[in-house]
Amino acid sequence: MKRKDLILHLLGEISSYILEENPRRMVVSLHQEKDGLHLSFMDDNDHSDDELVRLKKLLNSPKRPELAGYYGAMTGHDMLGSTHLDLLGWQVKHADVSRIDKGIKIDLWLGGERFQSEHFTIPNKS
Amino acid sequence: MSSKNVFLLVLLAGFLAALLVTGLIVDGPAGAMRGFAALQVQPGRLINDFFHVVGIGGTLINAALAGAVALVLILLNKVQLSGPTYAAVFTIVGFGLFGKTPVNIIPIIFGVYLASLAAKKKFQEYIIIALFGTALGPIVSFIVFESGLTGAAAVITGIVGGTFTGFLLPAIAVSMLHMHQGYNLYNLGLSCGFLALFAASLIRAAGHSFAVSMLWYTDPSPVLIWMIPILSLILIISGLISGGKKVFQELLEIQKISGRLPSDFMDMSSTASSLINSGLIGLAGSIYVFAVGGDFNGPVIGGLLTIMGFGAFGTHLKNSWPVVLGIIISTLVFGQELSAPGPILAALFGTTLAPLAGQFGIFTGILAGFIHLFMVLQTGAWQGGINLYNNGFAGGLTATLLVAVIQWVRSTKDDF
Repeated sequence: MKRKDLILHLLGEISSYILEENPRRMVVSLHQEKDGLHLSFMDDNDHSDDELVRLKKLLNSPKRPELAGYYGAMTGHDMLGSTHLDLLGWQVKHADVSRIDKGIKIDLWLGGERFQSEHFTIPNKS
Repeated sequence: MSSKNVFLLVLLAGFLAALLVTGLIVDGPAGAMRGFAALQVQPGRLINDFFHVVGIGGTLINAALAGAVALVLILLNKVQLSGPTYAAVFTIVGFGLFGKTPVNIIPIIFGVYLASLAAKKKFQEYIIIALFGTALGPIVSFIVFESGLTGAAAVITGIVGGTFTGFLLPAIAVSMLHMHQGYNLYNLGLSCGFLALFAASLIRAAGHSFAVSMLWYTDPSPVLIWMIPILSLILIISGLISGGKKVFQELLEIQKISGRLPSDFMDMSSTASSLINSGLIGLAGSIYVFAVGGDFNGPVIGGLLTIMGFGAFGTHLKNSWPVVLGIIISTLVFGQELSAPGPILAALFGTTLAPLAGQFGIFTGILAGFIHLFMVLQTGAWQGGINLYNNGFAGGLTATLLVAVIQWVRSTKDDF
């Protein structure tokens, strides 16, 4: 998939999730390198601890190439029904969800085979 | 390989082995192998019930070996055994009773493999498309055995035609997903049906016609009648033993999932609860067939196996019953018999629309079933019976219609 298309699909999927709760503010930031990219989303919605745990789990789903290569194409095309964040989880290198002053920050790192994590500020897995 | 994978592998391999052994016992090794060989040169268009063509033994061996091709492909490509692959193996075995053979599915799979090379992707990313895309196996059989070509020309054209068809499938399958947004579980049925429309039109333009084929086995056989109930009980018992106390809670969780693609129940809930769900669907389907006085033959058992497979990938009792009720109502309204081939297959395979009921409620499910019945009775003729997943085709059209209307209704409600 073309990088531009992929970014648009990711923007669509996560934005759809955040906008579902009607935030007053949503901020999106993108950092691109040759072999990878970092997308960051911030909102000011209220989120429970359970929701954060669920989000982290979905976005860090075990890699399923057989599903990502086919159903992954549905990412960001959601017009009806609930968002499919597991579709994202199958495709990203790493995802992180953290609380900010008000709301949460969702970080996604994506890349190809030659993805170099040192080019990005990926938190250490503890 | 994880313990879950080993468990599922043993279960699936055991199922295929049981089919093989049963086939050899029922007709004797020589008779069964003769039947199996005869099926490899049999046109597989809808509806060619292989039990009617060669009897029980050869057909069971054919189904087991078609399933084995799928299982080996999954293992060779190091793909996880889970909801979608479990559904694929069950579906291929089911259609090995009325259309698929190890010979006619291989060119389609090879075509999808070539498409993965062309797209510079690993084949494992397209393996689901390759497995379910075998619905177009009858294209290969048609070209080789029915088109009028003979000898090497027929074989080469059949292989090339099947491979080319498989090559086109990934592009079409992804586009079709966007049309119904995952609310038609048998997306490859819609994709193959779409492609089959072009293939059938080309074949008709070349001056050939599709002779109506309706081979429907009606002899009551204890082996066929008890096959699905026994398999269902084995799955339920396996799930109960391996699942522990929490399995009932997990089974209830499955009933709350809409089922929209891709819903891998084995991941979203657990393997044990998915097996129980699969077994319950098999039992419910068998009871329905008994209740309406249907025949337990190739297509019907194929339907039961398919819905059992999707019991791990989108179908459960709660999202299925409204669709089945809609199909029953439609059947009665249009003066059809519930046990007739079209309606009974629609009642089973029509659960491809279960996610609509799961997401939008009972009324939408009933409406989807109602529409599906009169659509599926026509779509088979449109595509000359060369797409085995005719219900997936009709279901895809129905889901696309309903999704479009629901989307439009929602878009008319302005927030500003």
